[in-house]
Formats: sequence, structure tokens, C-alpha cells
Amino acid sequence: MRGRETNRSTVTLTIAAFVAAVALALGLAACGGGGGGIEGGGDSGEAETVKLQGKPSGEVTISNWPLYIDQGTVPAFEKATGVKVKYIEDINENAEFFGKLQPLLQRGESGGRSLFVVTDWMASKMHELGYLQNLDKSGIPNVEANLASSLRSPSFDPNRDFSVPWQSGMGGLIVRTDLAPDVRSICDLFDPKYKGKVDFLGEYIETVPLVMSCEGVDPDSASEAEWMKAIDKIKAAVDSGQVRRFTGNDYARDLTSGDAVAVIGWSGDAVQLQADNPNIEWRMPTEGCSLWSDNMVIPVGAPNPTAAEAWMNYVYKPEVQANIAAEVNYVTPVEGVKQIFEKREPELAKNELIFPSAKFTKNCFTQPQLTSEETQNITRAFDAVVNG
Amino acid sequence: MTTVRRRLLPYLLLGSGTLWLVLFFVVPLAYMARLSLETGVVGSLEFNWHWANYSDALSLYDTQFVRSFIYAGTATLIALVIAYPLAYTIAFRAGRWRNVLLFAVVAPFFTTYLIRTIAWETILSDESPVVSVLQFLGLAPQGHVLATGGAVIAGLTYNFLPFMILPIYASLERIDERLIEAAKDLYASAGQAFWRVTLPLSAPGVVAGTLLTFIPASGDYINAQFLGSAGNQMIGNVIQSLYLKQSDYPAAAALSFVLMALIMAAVFIYIRFAGSEALMGEEAR
Repeated sequence: MRGRETNRSTVTLTIAAFVAAVALALGLAACGGGGGGIEGGGDSGEAETVKLQGKPSGEVTISNWPLYIDQGTVPAFEKATGVKVKYIEDINENAEFFGKLQPLLQRGESGGRSLFVVTDWMASKMHELGYLQNLDKSGIPNVEANLASSLRSPSFDPNRDFSVPWQSGMGGLIVRTDLAPDVRSICDLFDPKYKGKVDFLGEYIETVPLVMSCEGVDPDSASEAEWMKAIDKIKAAVDSGQVRRFTGNDYARDLTSGDAVAVIGWSGDAVQLQADNPNIEWRMPTEGCSLWSDNMVIPVGAPNPTAAEAWMNYVYKPEVQANIAAEVNYVTPVEGVKQIFEKREPELAKNELIFPSAKFTKNCFTQPQLTSEETQNITRAFDAVVNG
Repeated sequence: MTTVRRRLLPYLLLGSGTLWLVLFFVVPLAYMARLSLETGVVGSLEFNWHWANYSDALSLYDTQFVRSFIYAGTATLIALVIAYPLAYTIAFRAGRWRNVLLFAVVAPFFTTYLIRTIAWETILSDESPVVSVLQFLGLAPQGHVLATGGAVIAGLTYNFLPFMILPIYASLERIDERLIEAAKDLYASAGQAFWRVTLPLSAPGVVAGTLLTFIPASGDYINAQFLGSAGNQMIGNVIQSLYLKQSDYPAAAALSFVLMALIMAAVFIYIRFAGSEALMGEEAR
């Protein structure tokens, strides 16, 4: 019997070793995805301009964020131009999308995408790395004519050479009016009364400047030390159990269930959430909000840029944009939409979250620009808090 | 000719699997190894044997490493305590219900992992009946269950439980019941028969089950992301964040290798220990 026993233990060991190997491989696949073989520099600075070829035709692939368009615009565009659109909603977070696409962009490929939509700071970063093409403005006359004047010369792209806003929005407070009626400033979120009932955004570019601004620091001119001070304040709140968790759009769940009573969130979400639950409300922080835009950009190696520019041009027709704006409830970057709403849906035309007046956003700041070294230090410090 | 063919056959059979592993495991691993020794930011990474990535990985994220192993270890233990009696009942006492029960164990897999974890957010939500009961019993010291370490461990236990049950069931089910009868014939009590016959014979299943639970649980990041808070993030979350948020690929790659090495070491120690344990039961016979 001795022989059989050794045999069994060998079998045990073999099975165990095999299981270990397979499980490890699985685990690795789960956490090690993406990002192999990144060497050399991008050809920064000297971006090429897209080459337009006659009338738009063929196929075009557009990447956008989920729930960021109405049902009718894509088919209407296909009908108007004869271009076939593959519209995919595969962007959930700027940094994550960048991580996914970066190895391709580095090689001058876009993974088949002709156009995608990223937030200001990401558009700026991609441009610096040489991952975006400049636009041929002769293909987008509607953008030239209808782009809101406040969005015409952002600091990262003063002439709008490579980016065209898709929608804009505000970062600020979303509260449950029944559970946290007196939260009016970002600093109120640190009130021990709401311990464990407050969510912050996991994007440092939103959360940290908003905290700085309630502390009286101007985020636009803040030094790295001031960023770090704000991060320390956030860390203290996390350690004491004040902050429940860091979220993306999923703060919606916590607000709806009442697990969170006040969060740092985005204006368009608030409009949509309030439609379902009247107790959920956007609050412009007393010290002001953050302003951002998500931008359409054409990456290097994009197939069919002619059709991509035709798309940009098409969504800048006010009557087309009105349909999108009515659905997504963010701030529309297109002039002339408000007039359409005044006739069609006067209630929405009065909503300051969709058509904010200059007075409404007078204290608000645009997302700050950082050097890549500052970005690395700040993200590292912020991440140490989020993943503490 | 036939002998040649017979000799080659095993290699041919292994061929597709080997190719698969080389292409999708070894090659990416080599890329990662190289990446883990680079420095710089995305766009200007340079390969220069930067071993400090490894020491940084350990010194910066030791808390998360320790936490991951504690969470995964606790989840594995709880899963074992739940799974063994369950597998035992299914194997020996379920009768005609056996297939139904086995189906019930596997049924959650028809829903994706992500959805099941998100469902736990609702189960553990502050106003839920489950949490009210826990609060009444004084088991929710922070006033809430969601967004705590306990919730992460509960999620890990739940999600990996079938990986514990199935191997244990498989090894129990194979046991020749006459061996247990023989033990009883030799005046062993039911408890003795279990300790000296059933348990040792099911040891391979326990070893496989604990490994299948512990290893993926240590690298998991979904449960911590949805059920945890800032102080409950595991090493998988750090790696995910380094890759996808900070774009610090070298640090992420180095961290992945450290994780792999630590798990490998833990597993080999465990196998040696568990292997001899399984033997001892038989030798005592």
C-alpha cells in the first residue's frame, strides 16, 4: 500500500500546484490587464492636421460616455449624410480610457475610432503626448458659428485647434434635501453631523480643487503645497470615517438609498436624479463650482476623419443639439439652443443647470492645468488617500 | 512508427494548451517584467534596470499587502467552515436532492460576478433589514456595514464559496463508503471514523478549495471597490489605480510581480504543510 500512498500525495501536490498556477494566471489576468511595451516618446507638440477628402461617406466609429446622447441623432445623421455610424459607449472614466487606449495611440493607432470624447484635462494631456490631430476648420463651419463664446478659448486649447466641446457641466454638491438640508458649501461636508454619510468623487481633478476653493484657495493659481494641504484635509476626513467612500457616477445609488446624504457630484446627474426623487437636489456651493467640458477629438490614426468632422459639424446645428440637450441635461455648448427650448419646453429653458447664466456661475473655476510632474505627485498623494 | 507516434502523442495533446499559455501568459509576463524595470512617465519610459520599483512597491504599499492577505485568509477560513458541512451533506446525505443542491451551488454563476457584488450593496445598504438586525445585535460598530472591511470579507466569502464547495464535494463524493463502514466495524465511533478516514481522504479537496479561494481573493479588487471604503482597499485596487488612473505602468508591473511572488511563496509553504498533513492521516492508520 505504501506505493499507492505516495502516489496519492503526489497527486495532491500536482493538483494543488496546477490549481495554484491556473488561479495565479487568472488573478494576474484580472489585475494586470493592459499596458505592455510602452517605450519611446510621442511626437509631442507638432500635431498633424486631419486631411479631409471630399464629401463624407463610408463608416465612422465614435466612442462616447454612456447615456450621453438621445436616440434620434445617430440615425438622423446617417440619413442626412449617408455615413454609417458605429456609436459605442465605452468611456467610463478619463484615466481608465487613457490606460486602455494609450498603448495603441503610442503606435499611432486609434483602435478603429474616428472620434472620441474626453474631458478638458485629458484632451490637453493627449494633445501634449501627440495623440491628437488638429482639426481642419473648413469642415466644421457650424462649430465656428455656434460655439458658445465662453468656450471659445480655454487655456489648454486657446484657438480650439484640436477639441470641440460635446457637453459641459458643473461639479458641486448634490444633497438629499430631506436628510441634509443645510449643506451649502463643500466645507459643510466635513461637518461631523454627517459622519459616514458623505461621498467624494474619486477624480482628483474635481474633488481637490473644490475642497481648496471652500478653504479660500483659488484652484487656478494654487501651488503644489496648497494641493497637498487640501489632500491632507481629505485624508483626515477619511481616517475619521467622515467620508463614506470615493465614487464615480455611482454616488447615484448611495443618494437614492439614503446611504449618503450629500456628495460631490455633477450637475447633469442631479437633474436626472431629481426627476426620479424630488428630494435630491443640486446645490451650487457658496464658494463656486468647477466647470468642465467633455470634448470631441480626432486621434492619430483615425480612419475617415472627413466623416468625423461631418459629425462634429452636424451636432452643432442648434436643432440637432436641442434633442441631445433635452435628453442629457448637461450644459449645452451650442448657441441658439435656448431659443429653441423657449418655444418647445420653456421649463427647461429656465433651468440654470442646463442654461446657466453668467451670474449663476460667477464664482466657478475651470479645471486647473498642471505640469506632468505636478500631476504625478498630486495623483500619487490623492491615490494614497483613496486606496489608503 | 507506432512507438514514435505514441511517444509524440502526449506532446501533441499538450500543444494547444502550451501554445495558449505561451501566447497569453508567458509573453505578457515577459513584457511586464521588462516594464517593471523601466522609469519615467507615460510617453517617455526608459528601460534601465530600475530595481527600486520593487522596493518602492513593498515599502509604499505594505499596508495594502497585509490587508489583502488578512481579508483573503479570513474569507477562505469562513468559506471553509461553511463549505465543508455543506459539501458533506450533499455528498452523503442529500439522496435524490443531490443534483438540485449542486445546481443551487453553481446557480449564482449564471449571473456575472459584478452584478452579484453590486447586489450586495443593496443587501448591506444602511436601511436594509439585514443591517438593522446586525445593528440590533451590536455587530455594526461603525453604524453601517457597507463601506467597511467586514463587508469586503463577506463579499469575498460569498463570491468564492463555490470554488471551495465543489472541490471538497468532488473528493468526498469519491470516498468509498465501505472504508467508513470498515472503520465502524473496527469499533471507531462516528467522530473517530470522520477524523481518521473521511477527513484525511477529503484533504486534497480541502487543499484545492482553499487555494482556489485564497489566491483569487488576494488579488481581487471588485469587492473592495464596491463594498469597501477608503481604508479597505486591497492590493488589486492599488494595481488597478496605478495602471488605469495614475498611468504609472512600471510601479504597477513591479507591484504585480511582488504580489505574484508573495502568493507563490505562501502557496508553496501551504502545499508542503498541507501535503504532509494529508499524508500523516494515512500513515497513522
